[in-house]
Amino acid sequence: MAVSVWAVSSISRFPVPKAFQVHENKKPIWRIRCKKEGAEEMATGKNYYELLGVSVDSNPKKIRQAYRKLQKKYHPDVAGQEGHEHTLKLNEAYKVLMRENLRKEYDASIGKVRVAGFRAGNTPSSSLGSSWNGPFRPQALFVDENACIGCRECVHHASSTFVFDDALGCARVKVQYGDDEQKIEVSVDSCPVNCIHWVEKEELPVLEFLIQPQPTEGYGIFGGGWERPANVFMAAKSYNKQQQRWHEEAENENNRRKSRATAEEETPAQAKAREDASRKINMEGFSRFWQWQNKPFWGKKGE
Amino acid sequence: MAEPAYTVASDSETAGEEKSSSPFPETAIGIDIGTSHCSVAVWNGSQVELLRNIRNQKMMRSYVTFKDENPSAGVSDQLSSEHDMLSGASIFNMKRLIGRVDTDPVVQSSKSLPFLVQTLGIGVRPLIAALVNNVWRSTTPEEVLAIFLVELKAMAEIQLKRPIKNVVLTIPASFSRFQLTRIERACAMASLHVLRLMPEPTAVALLYAQQISNQNVNTGSEKIALIFNMGAGYCDVAITATAGGVSQIKALAGSAIGGEDLLLSMMRHLLPDSETLLTSHGLDDIKSVGILRVATQEAIHTLSSQTSVQIDVDLGNGTKICKVVDREEFEEVNLAVFDKCASLISQCLHDAKVDTEDVSDVIVVGGCSYIPKIKSLVMSICKKEELYKGMKPLEAAVIGAALEGAVASGLSDPFGSLDLLTIQATPLALGIRADGNNFVPIIPRNTAMPAQKDLIFTTAHDNQTEALIIVYEGEGKKVEENHLLGYFKITGIPPSPKGVPEIRVILDIDASSVLRVLAGVLMPGSHQPINPVMGVRMPTVDDGHGWCAEALHRAYGSSLDLVTVQKKI
Repeated sequence: MAVSVWAVSSISRFPVPKAFQVHENKKPIWRIRCKKEGAEEMATGKNYYELLGVSVDSNPKKIRQAYRKLQKKYHPDVAGQEGHEHTLKLNEAYKVLMRENLRKEYDASIGKVRVAGFRAGNTPSSSLGSSWNGPFRPQALFVDENACIGCRECVHHASSTFVFDDALGCARVKVQYGDDEQKIEVSVDSCPVNCIHWVEKEELPVLEFLIQPQPTEGYGIFGGGWERPANVFMAAKSYNKQQQRWHEEAENENNRRKSRATAEEETPAQAKAREDASRKINMEGFSRFWQWQNKPFWGKKGE
Repeated sequence: MAEPAYTVASDSETAGEEKSSSPFPETAIGIDIGTSHCSVAVWNGSQVELLRNIRNQKMMRSYVTFKDENPSAGVSDQLSSEHDMLSGASIFNMKRLIGRVDTDPVVQSSKSLPFLVQTLGIGVRPLIAALVNNVWRSTTPEEVLAIFLVELKAMAEIQLKRPIKNVVLTIPASFSRFQLTRIERACAMASLHVLRLMPEPTAVALLYAQQISNQNVNTGSEKIALIFNMGAGYCDVAITATAGGVSQIKALAGSAIGGEDLLLSMMRHLLPDSETLLTSHGLDDIKSVGILRVATQEAIHTLSSQTSVQIDVDLGNGTKICKVVDREEFEEVNLAVFDKCASLISQCLHDAKVDTEDVSDVIVVGGCSYIPKIKSLVMSICKKEELYKGMKPLEAAVIGAALEGAVASGLSDPFGSLDLLTIQATPLALGIRADGNNFVPIIPRNTAMPAQKDLIFTTAHDNQTEALIIVYEGEGKKVEENHLLGYFKITGIPPSPKGVPEIRVILDIDASSVLRVLAGVLMPGSHQPINPVMGVRMPTVDDGHGWCAEALHRAYGSSLDLVTVQKKI
């Protein structure tokens, strides 16, 4: 049930007689707990990720940064007593998202699952992409939905493995190894455009993530709509490469910090310029990915 | 004595108001009331400035002397020699005594102080008295502290040429909420409004956050610091994660051990079998103990810079002490104190889930930071070669308090020097009595503040219509091991089998650390409480904590008990 907590800001705009400015009166503390019964955080219509303004995939470092930034805005030390309520939520969101086990539980409760493999890279996610029937195997099935012509042959031959998406007009894998091997083999062979691929298990999450249509930014009346990478395998490759480079950079950054004493002399201005430049390069290359990670994920799942 | 008019501490709701109404808000001053020394600092518009008294001192001895009718405090008073303070007419170490009952070991150890600390050992406040014209004149730690604060306030008002109302005080991390109310009470008696009570190491953390954000442009990287603060009365440890001017307290630990304990055990070491002498309070004895105390103190100070010291003192009662004490001996005598310090650090690291490799800086401040053993102890536990430099050990806490005063008063600085924030953590767990005599924590230790948590309880008996909510603070599993904060009764529970009614207890701590307990009854299937919810600001107990719980037990037995239903994390 949606319990509306009164918008804090709207209250503070009107002068409230001092006598009534008692903490409990102003904010209905009692009602807040009701969120726990049903849909989480319905009170504000925001889940923890939205509250902190981070993507579902954010690593702890990003969450921490976002949390601190918001704290600086809403903490009662800065915002006065009005910030109390919001800071409570921030603290709660932060606590949950920073602990892996609590975060997993929370993710499940709001029906959002991080693309596994993006971070840790071991367990393929279940609800976003395909699920697994039986134990994990080194190879997995993947339908290149760009190439699929929507003939439904595969669904016909192996109905427990493949599913047809009527909205997009193409087939995709619902359950890995949902049928016996023979059926699967027949269905793969039956594809007239050979768009069903055997891929490495590790590659699957990235591919399944990238193949989802993503909204493109519109400029005025141009553009907009949905699109996906023309060649999903190339896109996955470059994504992995970028990811790896990122890790390396993060590591280098760490090393550099450690060996700062021995590093060559550099004026603070130079250091800043260099850092800004490298950050900019990184950001440009990644802006599309970030966009994907941040918005469409929601659009798609939240509908 | 009739207490001065009480200005109702207004929840700092006014702080927000002042911010919007006046373009020049009153800047709260920072006060560090130490067990032995006090200091005041204020943000002067561009930086923090320590105020000096008329004798140009930044650090003022914390004591109040009662002479004839007029008490005078260490702010303005001229102390001709250390012995004057030890004549029995002066009360000091208020911070060790405030809000403690006479069964408390800290109070017991204070009995060797020159003024009178009388204990009956029944869990009530001790009698404290100063010797005025050969009469033991009773007073309270709150009163002594208030007299001291009035002098501090007057001094600050003269220098800043404005009335002072809002203050940020530093307090030991181990203070119970009851002790905090006593500090607030003393401030109210001195017509000061407490804007924030900051655990000392968190004030240091704020100063650290400012120094870090000043020195590196790239504020994105996070630095973890361990802060060890040991003064005369208390030892506190905090671990803070700092980035971008935000200092997030990850863990706090503290204990009432400090230089005073080092001093006492050293005095006992120098003069064995001195128990009767130390606690007798005859006029001559007071004088002898005073002489011993000063000599011991000087010796300990000397041992910070030299490896051994010659003690040569005549106590005036026929006893002469002539002894050479070296550092090892001093360290051995105080082994228990140093062990406790070490365990606090380890506990803090454990609570914060931080490895020593992750700690970038180790900050050691407070009066005891001059002791070589303390420095080496902290460094060895943290596996560091050197300590953080750039903070004056005696001034760090008060500067941090002044920064917090400026930030919480809504000031901003064009150069970003006030672009700071401390996210405080609760030093002790808070919860209620349930499942028999168990303490059920609702807000665990080291939870980020402000915090609000709830837990559902249910009735222990069939057709139970009332329930007692007894709120405790502490870490013990049994309620007796924790501080009682208060209690209230929930009534009007509809008669039903045990375990059916849901009694929801919410604990809410705001940024100024005010604790409210809300409790109400829900019946299954309903989201609205049956009766109006009880909202009680804690602590409610005044004195003699232990008694109340026992009395409640005698009066009601287990008839109003609660049991836990489910545990929410």
